Amino acid sequence: MTRVPFSFTRARLIGQNTLLEASRQKLFSFLLLLALSLVAGAQGFRDFNFGAPELKFLADLGYGAMAFFGAALTVAATAQLFFSEIENRTALTLLAKPVWRAEFILGKYLGIAAVAAVFCVLLTGLLAAVLWAREGSLLTEFPEAFPHGRTLHFADLVAAGYVQWLKLAVLAAFTLLVASFSQTQLYTVVTGFFVLVICHLQYLAQDASARGDSVFARAVAGAIGLLFPNFQLFNLAENVGAGVAVPWDRVAHVSVYALGYVVAAGALAVYSFRKREI
Amino acid sequence: MSSRPVRSQSTVSANVKSRLPALVVIIGGLALTGALLRLVEAPLWTVLRAEQPALRLDSTGAAAGQGVTLGLLGGFRAIVADFTWLRLHVLWEQRDLPATDTLLRLVTAVDPRPLYFWVNGARIIAFDMTAWRIAAAGGYDSVPEARQERIGAEQARLAIRRLEEAMTFHPANAALWVERANIELNRLHDVAAAAASYRRAWEQPGGPDYAARLHAELLKRLGRKAEALAWLVQLHPQLPTGDEATEIVLGRIRDLEKDLQVPAARSYRPPPGGPPGAKPGGR
Repeated sequence: MTRVPFSFTRARLIGQNTLLEASRQKLFSFLLLLALSLVAGAQGFRDFNFGAPELKFLADLGYGAMAFFGAALTVAATAQLFFSEIENRTALTLLAKPVWRAEFILGKYLGIAAVAAVFCVLLTGLLAAVLWAREGSLLTEFPEAFPHGRTLHFADLVAAGYVQWLKLAVLAAFTLLVASFSQTQLYTVVTGFFVLVICHLQYLAQDASARGDSVFARAVAGAIGLLFPNFQLFNLAENVGAGVAVPWDRVAHVSVYALGYVVAAGALAVYSFRKREI
Repeated sequence: MSSRPVRSQSTVSANVKSRLPALVVIIGGLALTGALLRLVEAPLWTVLRAEQPALRLDSTGAAAGQGVTLGLLGGFRAIVADFTWLRLHVLWEQRDLPATDTLLRLVTAVDPRPLYFWVNGARIIAFDMTAWRIAAAGGYDSVPEARQERIGAEQARLAIRRLEEAMTFHPANAALWVERANIELNRLHDVAAAAASYRRAWEQPGGPDYAARLHAELLKRLGRKAEALAWLVQLHPQLPTGDEATEIVLGRIRDLEKDLQVPAARSYRPPPGGPPGAKPGGR
């Protein structure tokens, strides 16, 4: 039997199927609707705002919804979509055909990255609309506060949404890596959330490895700092609504950083999945 | 029967052994990736850290707290902190000191960005909590004045500590220095410390001119009139031309010159055409 060459088309088809499957899941619809209604109703929370400028408050709420529900969606959907194939034995049927395991992992990843992209695009679009409408009404009510017209740059909103998606894409790759050797969906979900927390605290591990007291503590902290990405780098939304322009060179560097981790975690997931008995 | 645990132990051991090479490859691969991407990460991180004081806290516990809230709550920090502040207000109305104090810490831990939480929190600690403690001890009529002063001083020091914490998140912020000076003046009655804090407030970017005038007033109250005069003489050329405050400063210079009996030949002469309104470097 001759071995078929690697095919991106097959990976894309698996990805499309994953996206379709995700869109049918109640979890996806629930989290998406929750996040969308929170952003759409953000103006209702204005009365509870103390201290922060109004547009900044609205932008914060929007990106908060994107980061919080996005992370929950990514970890849960990755684990669920991967293990549903294993538990329903569809993975066995699929891999019995001339389909590479690498194609299966790549397809799954593309599907989940697409789910996260749909989520981020919808939320960014809605947030942009909410901010545009509110800025318009503020312009009418307080024209003296806007001597140079509109202050929000919608390219910055898109850039911040894109960077949020990059973070979710890296998280999805790491969750898929865990799923590739994990035996249960629950373990994958729990570990995925741990990875999320560790990645947000990675900078502390780097600090500890540089300034720690004991050699052991420095070695452990150094290892954590080396194994996990620094998710604080993806925190670009702080600039939106604060009158600070998004630095585009940072967006480019973060893209390279995210791509590096996605490729590495994806390749290791393929390696691990090839060793796995299904 | 007795062989079952032995078998399961050996199964686990075999399972771990079979996965060990894969685990080593995964850890090695991630470490290599981390080492390579450190080249991209390091310069980015230096810039980002310089921009966000919450990411360069000295205390590991506080830094970890900020890391988690920043990462997991993200922009939700604002709304979570706002609702915590509302809850704090309910407790404040009930004069529940321990609960109010706890929520004051919580609200700034969740979102340290708004100055509102820090400044109002410091006021609650310094002024309201002093009144609550005196009321709990029997009221202003029955608590001896010395004890009232002691309670006030204790609360004032706690409030100043809060403001110092705020300054780690908001370095170079005039409002925090003004608040500190107010507490030092009105609660601790430490005029020298308040004078120094008003001066620090004025030295911060966008520091209010009234802080500079208050610095001079407090120097005067301390009997350091020559110092106050020198300060106002240095301040006046930096104030905007034609401003009411500029005229007030000139008036105070003249009063001090009279008090100190400065000869007319050595009295202050405003720059021709009025002060240019420039402020010293670093402001």
